[in-house]
Amino acid sequence: MYNGSCDLRLLRDAFITWFPEARRMQLLNRNDLYQQEPPPFGKALLAHYALDSEYINLNNGSYGTTPRPVLEAINELTLLVESNPDRFHRLLYQPKLVDVRAKLAALIGAKTDEVVLVPNASMGLNTVLRNFEWNKGMSSSHVLKLSSKVSTTYGSISRTIQNISNVPPFPSACSITLNFPMSHSEVIQTFKEHLKIHPAAPNKKRVAVIDSIVSNPGVLLPWKEMVKVCREESIWSVVDAAHSIGQEVDLNMEEAKPDFFVSNCHKWLSAKRSNQHIIKTSLPTSHTYIPPADRTGPNFVEQFEWNGTIDFTHYLTVADALEFRNWLGGEHKINSYCHELALKGGQRLAEILGTRVMDPNGELTLNMVNVELPIPASIVWSKEIDAVLKRKLLEERKAYSPPFYHNKAWWTRCSAQVEDFEKIGEIWLEICDELPQE
Amino acid sequence: MNRKDLYKQEPPPFGKALLKHYALDPEYINLNNGSYGATPRPVLEAAQELTLLIESNPDSFNRLLYKPKLIDVRTKLATLIGAKPDEVVLVANASMGVNTILRNFDWEAEDVIFVFSTTYINVSGTVQSISDCPPFPSICEVPLNFPMTHSDIIESFKDHLKANPASPNKKRVAVIDSIGSNPGVLLPWREMVQICREEKVWSVVDAAHSIGQEVDLNMGEAKPDFFVSNCHKWLSSKRACALLYVPERNQHIIKTALPTSDTYIRPKDRLKPNFVQQFESNGTIDLAPYLTVADALEFRNWLGGEHKINTYCHDLAIKGGRRLAEVLGTRVLDPDGDLTVNMVNVELPIPGSIKWSADIDATMMQKMLIERKAYSAHFNHNGAWWTRCSAQVWNSVEDFENIGKIWREVCADIVKELKE
Repeated sequence: MYNGSCDLRLLRDAFITWFPEARRMQLLNRNDLYQQEPPPFGKALLAHYALDSEYINLNNGSYGTTPRPVLEAINELTLLVESNPDRFHRLLYQPKLVDVRAKLAALIGAKTDEVVLVPNASMGLNTVLRNFEWNKGMSSSHVLKLSSKVSTTYGSISRTIQNISNVPPFPSACSITLNFPMSHSEVIQTFKEHLKIHPAAPNKKRVAVIDSIVSNPGVLLPWKEMVKVCREESIWSVVDAAHSIGQEVDLNMEEAKPDFFVSNCHKWLSAKRSNQHIIKTSLPTSHTYIPPADRTGPNFVEQFEWNGTIDFTHYLTVADALEFRNWLGGEHKINSYCHELALKGGQRLAEILGTRVMDPNGELTLNMVNVELPIPASIVWSKEIDAVLKRKLLEERKAYSPPFYHNKAWWTRCSAQVEDFEKIGEIWLEICDELPQE
Repeated sequence: MNRKDLYKQEPPPFGKALLKHYALDPEYINLNNGSYGATPRPVLEAAQELTLLIESNPDSFNRLLYKPKLIDVRTKLATLIGAKPDEVVLVANASMGVNTILRNFDWEAEDVIFVFSTTYINVSGTVQSISDCPPFPSICEVPLNFPMTHSDIIESFKDHLKANPASPNKKRVAVIDSIGSNPGVLLPWREMVQICREEKVWSVVDAAHSIGQEVDLNMGEAKPDFFVSNCHKWLSSKRACALLYVPERNQHIIKTALPTSDTYIRPKDRLKPNFVQQFESNGTIDLAPYLTVADALEFRNWLGGEHKINTYCHDLAIKGGRRLAEVLGTRVLDPDGDLTVNMVNVELPIPGSIKWSADIDATMMQKMLIERKAYSAHFNHNGAWWTRCSAQVWNSVEDFENIGKIWREVCADIVKELKE
């Protein structure tokens, strides 16, 4: 049987010999690294990521960043796969996949067989929503759509819902408007009012897509309370928790009891055992699919083991990502730091910009904070302005925190690092000055 | 050596000398390129560089840099298959491509979906799952039992179409493999697409194995309604990436990508096609496999180009298949010579009375992959056991001979163990 440690050393040497670029990455054997004390949080940790050291990255929220030890693990695994693709895909990967699923399940308080991996949150949400058997006129409520054209439900998800309602049998979609800043109790109130307007009809379902943490603005919603309201009202709760894992601590599916839960960064789909029958097929369908009429047990986990050839290193190195985070001190330590920073940094940024933080009650901010930009409200969002801002930030000044337009104001969402808030504050001041002139 | 310098040199001859340009274990006899492909080292190098570029500034890459590179790859692939760039988009793999097509049709109760008994397992699962949901369109499965000739296949297809005519205002959709998986045989897909056009049947061509193996593909001539092909199988690109070809005339059928993109526009609100942009951003993925298709094409050009590569591989498949059949004392699955492109199927010396089972399947993989470090795909078809060998640029006839001896041993072991 394959001898793990010996081959990996050879693989690493071969990799560095063959790819001199790898030297630039300063590959440090992570076994040695993890025996050292981790550096303190802050700039000292930048060395363990592959970010351009001159780039002020206040936008972890969009695409994340891969720590170097995880990149190293991916490279090793890639070479293992390439040395014998058949051996890997037919024999080796399955136990590693189970190991990752078990670790993720433990992290969110779920059972291992309730958790599978999918490519990203968009795919997870599509898998759930497209498996329901929709009926005409049945509502699918998607929460949080703005009265202006931008929805706070993530763009591709509200389009998914739109497409589902555009095809037979044309279920209806109801959007609920949320205008931030607003408090958690206001959000819950608004949600309940909308449910009253669209009561259940006999033999029809209601499905609510609820963000745990919204993208634009980057705010925490009272999703656990909303899931509870759904249960009381017999509504299916589909939680788009794209931003949750690794940011929200102490997730517990057994307590929160959402019907479906999808989270990115580690990318996985969780379906409570009693709801697995709703997920008739993975997307794409697997050869392990069994017609519902022929099933003698759940047909859930095995349907997500093989969905065509993919690069498995992403799924499997979730284990290495968890190892890195443990080395840093674990979920609570990491998130205490980031949360404090989001609060401090947000205040500092608002001072520099002379504006305000979007968080009247302090309930909206986890590790992302939204601060108003000093751009007159008369300047409304357009593709051109969006492009100009991107260029000024990313190309000209090598800094980024995403700007967005919400509730008739301009905001920027920052995912946490202190000195960085001050630096980006100066940059935003400049850019916002230039914009009205142009 | 970095690839700029490498490409200034003459490429090595085809055969064992090329093995060092792949990351394959040199002791592993790999005669199964067909399942998962193998990534040339220069392409791995390009992917690594791209990964570091992305990681240095993920926002800059995803928001500003990536689109022109995507357009470049789509254009190159379109040229390779004789299509227009705006008719070609990239998806995760062939299974995803086929699901995108089939799940976009507005199915009705009296619709019929034609598949074949040799259709790839994920695809037949997909069709089954569609048929299991309202409004429950039906499935007609055309049995194919090899060895059979191209004209037999065409006859059988026509008969089944006759037996399942279209109901008024209802549609028929046929899922046709260009090159099957088990067995790994070329089908007369162009003729079958032509028949579909004549009979007003939608043709969905699952060409997972085609690009990089079938030369001179020309969508303008063949005119399939939909065509999906994996780039990581025979086109030397990194796992995993597939092209989805949808001619302009059919783009209205594909209402949404899977998953739906934020660029989706309600059909009644569309002023122009909403196809290409829907496949630009479908949730965060690793873009390296899509974008390094360009580097894969560069590698293949260095080796001499599509015709040179495939002439070598095809000849090797024929020669190697014959040699393997001699060593095993069996036969090649190709009575007329029109079934073999770069994959050849040879019977294994296992009595037909021994049926397929998960145990035998696992035992074969253990004995071949783990114990003897050699593999060519195995399967049971039409009452016999077969192995499918992929002839790739690093293979030679010697590999076929060596694996022949290994299979002989392994088959003898299995037969003996079953008797006990």
